[in-house]
Formats: sequence, structure tokens, C-alpha cells
Amino acid sequence: MTDESFDDMTDESFDLRLRLLDRQVVDPDGAMICKVDDVELAPADGGGYVVTALLAGPLALGPRLPGRLGRWTVALARRWSDDPEPSPRRIPFERVTELGSAVVLDRSRDQLGIAGLEDWVRTHVIDRIPGSRHASE
Amino acid sequence: MKRLLSVFLGVLTAIGGFVDIGDLVANALAGARFGLSLVWVTVLGVVGICLFAEMSGRVAAVTRRGTFDLIRERLGPRAGLLNLVASLLVTVLTFTAEIGGVALALELATSVNYLLFVPVVGFAVWLVIWRLRFKVLENVFGLLGLALIVFPVALWKLNPAWGDLLHSIVAPHKPASEDLSTYLYYGVALFGAAMTPYEVFFFSSGAVEERWTAKDIATSRVNVFIGFPLGGLLSVAIAACAALVLMPAGIEVGTLGQVGLPVAVAVGKLGLAVAILGFVAATFGAALETGLSTGYSIAQYFGWQWGKFVRPRDAARFHVVVLLALIAAIACVLTTADPIKVTEYSIVFSAVALPLTYFPILVVANDPVYMGEHVNGRLSNALGTVFLGIIIVVAAAAVPLMLLTSAGQ
Repeated sequence: MTDESFDDMTDESFDLRLRLLDRQVVDPDGAMICKVDDVELAPADGGGYVVTALLAGPLALGPRLPGRLGRWTVALARRWSDDPEPSPRRIPFERVTELGSAVVLDRSRDQLGIAGLEDWVRTHVIDRIPGSRHASE
Repeated sequence: MKRLLSVFLGVLTAIGGFVDIGDLVANALAGARFGLSLVWVTVLGVVGICLFAEMSGRVAAVTRRGTFDLIRERLGPRAGLLNLVASLLVTVLTFTAEIGGVALALELATSVNYLLFVPVVGFAVWLVIWRLRFKVLENVFGLLGLALIVFPVALWKLNPAWGDLLHSIVAPHKPASEDLSTYLYYGVALFGAAMTPYEVFFFSSGAVEERWTAKDIATSRVNVFIGFPLGGLLSVAIAACAALVLMPAGIEVGTLGQVGLPVAVAVGKLGLAVAILGFVAATFGAALETGLSTGYSIAQYFGWQWGKFVRPRDAARFHVVVLLALIAAIACVLTTADPIKVTEYSIVFSAVALPLTYFPILVVANDPVYMGEHVNGRLSNALGTVFLGIIIVVAAAAVPLMLLTSAGQ
């Protein structure tokens, strides 16, 4: 949290919708993790709100989609989840090191443990095709 | 020296990469029916694609974000999703047309029914996307696509009255036998063919694939401002050849063979062979681009890892999307729907979808927080706004014109 522009942004109020929501989230190496599908807010000491976590996945995105489509997204995500009380994937805001054209975290996707569909598709589909572990030539 | 070489290579790739099945068919169709009276539309389309490709390349180089990433960010998840669905439909339709185009070109070369080639072509497309490095893929098919230079050569061999030719381009005159609505309908098709949205998805995502930074903006500009207009020149040559050979003979273009016919007349068998090579390369290259574009757009909307710069297992969902799109496209071609007709519809629907792609690019290229010193200048903005107006008019007119003319009959 040494980035000066980042400190500026936390001190002043800024347009959450324009500068945080729907941004790409990446790890320190630039690998893409998810979108900021929603945010978790908590009341701040001096009034107003602070962002406590970034939320991602269909359970976060679903409620922001219109009508039936949104409800179906949430319902499907609940059904497919192993968790009896499914909730959106949550990334604590402390993990964020930079807010720019992307939101940079200090951990990789595997370290955060928010794998989901990507891992399922990797083990069940992509890894079964020869050459999936090789970089392109 | 090395830098100069890479710039040169980039320009050549842009020339070959500009032309796809849509440009081949639309230009030959328009040339055979309307002579050179619609060339001004192609010129307009080339100016438009240069303008927005430069913008999207600049945005990608500065922010390292692809076009759909930004579309969702600016339009929000709802409008972004609507945009995604519409763009995907058009891109998969174009993907179908390109695969059909490769198969038709192979039929032209071998006289074996094109449907037999479709599974082979599909597998080849997948294998190249799965294994080949981005740079290699872009260069090989771009360079082979340069074989289409045989069209300007054929035009030169046909030895037309150049003065008259130029006059009919500069002072366009609709043939008296054609309705105004049909003329405008083909204008819309040509415009859609020149500005196909996937070109921008591919161009901006390609900039991220190749890890461009702000330093590469100059290279990008050279590629766009020299490569695309020269590619447009190939398109015009195709139209001119059709106007000189097919129009007087009263031939309406309904097959890929008819697109190549003027070359056979002017240059002979060898020329036709080169033209077919050009067809295969241009359509195969475009099949790769549209296939990748389906993956790029979905992955960028949802924030998944995408791209060929990582191993396939590190972009698992991206590769699954590309694979599914490929299966869908192959299935569409195998319905035996005429690929030339599919192409015609794909470019008209491209025209309908144009504002969805180009409006968000213009907005982001104007955001100083995002773009810093590389934000749009006055000229880019003025031209961008004018073109957005044109694009909206074209998009709104496309479907009514299609209904009014029964798709240009």
C-alpha cells in the first residue's frame, strides 16, 4: 500500500461505479482472476461507507442482472454449489495493492482459493487434451 | 533494422488480414451489379476501421485491457451482456461464413464437394489455435493472404480505360436498372464488410497478446494507417475486376468461383491458382481471428484468463469457449446453408452491431484518468463522432433495407 495515487483514492470519495465495479482483477504477475462483480460495504467511522471486500462469481453478478436472467443465474449457481449456504467469492480489500486500469491483488488465484468453474473445466476438459501443458510454439 | 523489419511485417500482415470472406463476396457482388459506383463506401469503411482500430490499439497498449473488458466496465453488466450476446451472434455467424469460405476455396481447387472439407478445416482451425504462437499465426496467414495481389495484377492486365475507371469512382453513378434501395442495401453490406466488429476485438486483444506498451503505439499506427488502406485497395481491385468482366457479361456473383473468374480471364490458370491460395489464406486467417474473438469477448466480459500467451490449461474456460464456438460454426456449415448467403447475412448483421462495439471504444479513448497523455486528440474525437453518427445511421437502416429489397434480390 505504498502507491501514492492509491492513498489519494482512499482518502477522497470516488465514483465506485466508474472506478471499481466491473474492473478486471489480476494477480501480481498480471494473470487474470475475475471481474469485480460486486463490492461489500461497511459503515465507516466518520460517516459514509468503506469497501471491505470485492465479490465475484455468479452469486455476485446474478443480482446485478435484470429480472428473470438474474434470478436464474443465482438459482443455477446455488444448485451447482457444494456448499449448503453458498455465498459469492469474497476477496478482502486488504489484498488489493493497486487500483488502475485493473485491480491488482497481492496473491494468485490459487492462493486465494477462489477457483470454481475454471478448475473444473481444467481438470475435466482441457487437461485431457494433449498439449494443454505446453506453451504455444 | 530489426524494428523496421517488424514494422514492415506488421504492415504486410495487416494488408493480408484485412480481406476476409465478407470482403471477397461483397466486393465481387457489388462490382458485378453496380460497377464502381459503390467504391466510395469501401473507402469510407476503410477510413472508419483505421480510425477505430487505431483507437482500440492505443487503448489496449496503454491499459492492457481488451475491448470487451472495457465494454462491460463502461456499460455495466446489463447493457454489457446484451452487447456481448449480440456481438457473439454476429461473430459466430462470421466464423461460420469463414469456415464455409475455406471449404469452398478448397472445393474450387480440387472439385471435391466443400462439405467434405468442413470437418478437416474445423480441426485445422482448432489445432492452430491450440498450438501455434500468436505471432506465427498472425504472420503466416497475413502473408499468404497477400496472394490476393493477383487481383490488382488482373486489373492491370485487363487494361481498362483508367481515366473512366477513376471517374466512375470519384463521381459515382447508380446504374439505371437498379433501385435506390438495392443500391443502398449493397452499400450497407460493403460498409459492414469493411468495418466487421471482430476485427477490432482481434486487433485490441492481439495488442495485449503481444504485450504492447505505450511505446508500441507508433508501430500500431503504421500498421493501421498503411496496412488497412492497402488491404482496402485489394477490395477495390476485386470490385473493379468484377465490374470489368462480370458486369458486361451479366453474371451475378453467387459462388466463390465467380469471384475468381476475372482473374482466370485476365491472368489465366496460374493466376487463378494464386487467387485460390489467397482465398484459402484470407478465409482461414479470418476463421482463426473470429474463433479467437468469441473466446476473447466472453472471457473479457466475465474476467476469465484468456489468450494464447499462457498455456491452454491456464486459460481453460477461454479454450472451451473457442472449442464450443467452433463446433457451433461447423454444425451451421453442415446444415448445407449456402456459405455465400451466410456471408451476405453476416456482413449485414455486422453493420447492425457496429455501434455496440465502436461507441464504448470512443468513450474509453476519451477518458483522461485511463489514458493519460494518450487520450484522444481533437481530430480523433471529431472524426470519431462523425463516424459514430454514420455507423448509427447504417445500423438503423440495415434491417429495413434488407426487408425492403428482400436481401438485395
